[in-house]
Amino acid sequence: MRDVSLTVPTGSIYGFLGPNGAGKTTIIRMILEIIRPTRGEVSVLGESSALKARNRIGYLPEEKGLYKKMKAWSVIAYFATLKGMGRKEAKERAFELLEKYGLKDFANAKTDALSKGMGQKVQMLASIAHDPEFVILDEPFSGLDPVNQEVMEDIIRDMAARKRTVIFSTHVMQHAERICDRILLMAQGRKVFDGTIAEAKRTLPRRVRIETNDPVGQLEELDDVVGVEALDGSGRPDDDEGVGRWELRIAEKADPQSILQECFERGIRLRSFELADPSLHEVFVHLVGSEAKEASFR
Amino acid sequence: MRNAFLVAWRDFAESAKTKGFWIGLLLFPAIIFAFVQAPKYLEKKGTPQRFFVLIDQSGTFEEIIEEGLERAHQRRVLKSLVDYGRKNASLEKAGQAGGDKIDLEDIPAPDVSGGAEQFLEEFAESNPDALEKFLERGGREMMLERMKPYLRDDAEEYEEPKRRYVRVAVPEGVDPAAGTAVISEALKPFLRGTRKIGVEGEDGKLYAAVLIPKDIEGLVSRPGQQPITLMTGRHGVEYWSANLADLDLHNDIRNVMNREIRRKAYLAAGMDIEAVRAVERTRVPFATLNPKKAKGKEKVSMADFLRQWAPSGFVYLLWISIFTISQMLLSNTIEEKSNRIIEVLLSSVTPGELMMGKLAGIAAIGLVMIGVWVGSLVAILAWQAGPEVEFAQHIFDVLKNSHLLPAFFAYFVLGYLLYSGVILTIGSLCNTLKDAQNYMGVVTVIMMVPMLTMFFIPKDPNGALATTLSWIPIYTPFAMMNRMAADPPLFEVIGTTVLLVVTTAAVLWLSGKIFRIGILRTGQPPKILELFRWTMDAVRGRN
Repeated sequence: MRDVSLTVPTGSIYGFLGPNGAGKTTIIRMILEIIRPTRGEVSVLGESSALKARNRIGYLPEEKGLYKKMKAWSVIAYFATLKGMGRKEAKERAFELLEKYGLKDFANAKTDALSKGMGQKVQMLASIAHDPEFVILDEPFSGLDPVNQEVMEDIIRDMAARKRTVIFSTHVMQHAERICDRILLMAQGRKVFDGTIAEAKRTLPRRVRIETNDPVGQLEELDDVVGVEALDGSGRPDDDEGVGRWELRIAEKADPQSILQECFERGIRLRSFELADPSLHEVFVHLVGSEAKEASFR
Repeated sequence: MRNAFLVAWRDFAESAKTKGFWIGLLLFPAIIFAFVQAPKYLEKKGTPQRFFVLIDQSGTFEEIIEEGLERAHQRRVLKSLVDYGRKNASLEKAGQAGGDKIDLEDIPAPDVSGGAEQFLEEFAESNPDALEKFLERGGREMMLERMKPYLRDDAEEYEEPKRRYVRVAVPEGVDPAAGTAVISEALKPFLRGTRKIGVEGEDGKLYAAVLIPKDIEGLVSRPGQQPITLMTGRHGVEYWSANLADLDLHNDIRNVMNREIRRKAYLAAGMDIEAVRAVERTRVPFATLNPKKAKGKEKVSMADFLRQWAPSGFVYLLWISIFTISQMLLSNTIEEKSNRIIEVLLSSVTPGELMMGKLAGIAAIGLVMIGVWVGSLVAILAWQAGPEVEFAQHIFDVLKNSHLLPAFFAYFVLGYLLYSGVILTIGSLCNTLKDAQNYMGVVTVIMMVPMLTMFFIPKDPNGALATTLSWIPIYTPFAMMNRMAADPPLFEVIGTTVLLVVTTAAVLWLSGKIFRIGILRTGQPPKILELFRWTMDAVRGRN
């Protein structure tokens, strides 16, 4: 880890993205003061150290594990009491959470009898049972089926809706794209990007996709258009046969409307015109490079 | 502090739920109970009746042997009658309170320096006249008659102990007049159990065969002569049995025969047999005295004997309990580490709190365990103590009247803390129980020393070995516990305890430091050199 500065606004959902080994877990452990940075400082919830605010923090570590011989409810209750909750209150809360997220029937099951996904949900609930102001989830979605991934997303959205701050790390872009307000992109221990999703997308030139039978070579000359690429096949913009789908990368300041107008003026008959946002995945690949591209598919 | 308590409580509650804990908890009282009950049970029905064949071709010993075995049986009858009387005596009828109490201080102790031989001799011959009187005056019937007025109204019927050895007829097909080689060959299938003998119409197993050759008197070894058996290669009396552990019959017959041979020798020398017998019973009174006891009570008693050896029992208990719960602590720590639960814990509690909680939680388990052990030991002894189980009575008295128990608990706590420091360090460095076993091997070897020295220390409780071990903190609890009976010098008691406490504190402090670094470590356990570096860093105050 080198030179990573970061501010997480209260009440936001913050995604830590990066390929495996990028340093996501390390930075999370540093925030929690499980390990200490050699240089620099961490301030959490207004305290100089996470230890001072630890009862207001919830944490789901990357490697999931529970006490095998304990019952689901009592694991949740135990971690809640460690965070300062009363014993009775913690027990009630445990049953309430298990019921709410569909694990009511397994409340009294020992955790080694639960499936991996269920165990992970129980651990998730254990980390938020004390209703923390700030939750850190390390890879909460890994190993879950799509239905449970959605449940997990719901839990996160529920927290954010109640003005809780959530940080989670993942290497699956779709989750981040769906629920994050802001993201931190990391690679090889360095910060690559930090900002809102909109800002992240702005790092890539915006694109317009058009479909037409006419040659589009003349659009390349426009100031607003940075480049033209064929979306299917190896056709060149000057060819004049067949239907072509093209992607125009446009300048940052450019107005897509003016491009539409230019097409009209130059007699290019459009079958479709679409303003395409880059996906987070593309942003990621763009910022991190091809090495990370491989990693993101792992 | 609250968190340390919560951790301790969880560790305690979860460990208390394991099967292993309950088995350990209940097994010990079960063993103690069985141990106390066994002699009583064996007395009643345990030892089976054993059948033997006696072929006396010389014709001179048959009667004497039967008589001798009968006397051995009558001795047991006498003893069982005395026990029966003590057990069923009514205090009011006896007219004296506490009539059935044995004063431990009055029971002579076996001479410790003289070894086991003399001890047995003393007991067997402790009152050679008693059996004679008993038999002369009418034996069992007379005793029962005389006891009757003093027995409780609800006293149970007296039951004579079964004869241990019963002589049976020579099996059919064996010719008692043949040579011993032929007879023994013929008897072998019976002795091996492949053929059964008929006993009162039922099948029985032949336990032993005793063959006395015709010319046995010519084979007797006498002082000053070359043993004839050596020269001729013959055996003399042949005792055949597949059981080599129980030699009572063998010894009884041998003693009876030797006695008879000697009687004949006395006669041949023209000596008065009665005078010789009388002389044989003369004894010099020999008392063992302990200078440490109060004046007038210096005589070493059974209680003193037990008091001297009881600490060894406690050393064993101490060792087992420390070893058991150290293992518990280790697997408990490794579970949290290998499951990575440790990370969640450390986001909630400090490593210090976690370590303290673990120490306290498992210590509580250990205290419950040895509490139940010692409690059940005392309870079973108190319940069983009495004339019937004298042994229990003795141990019970020793426990009541000594500081063994408080010392045991104190050394348990200190010893546990010292070893747990080491165990927690190992636990924090290893990710799997398998990794940990490598380190534990070393610990186990080191812990074996008190086991090996356990029986030597009481023999020389303030000697060089005992003193040296006492000053090595890892052995202090065991060695000092072992020496408890011998009142080690006060200077040593205090000195070694202070050293132990200081060492324990240092080890816990250091292991706390290593715990902090090690607990989040993954992968291979650190190399020795790396470990040393951490230690040095900790000592220099870097982390």
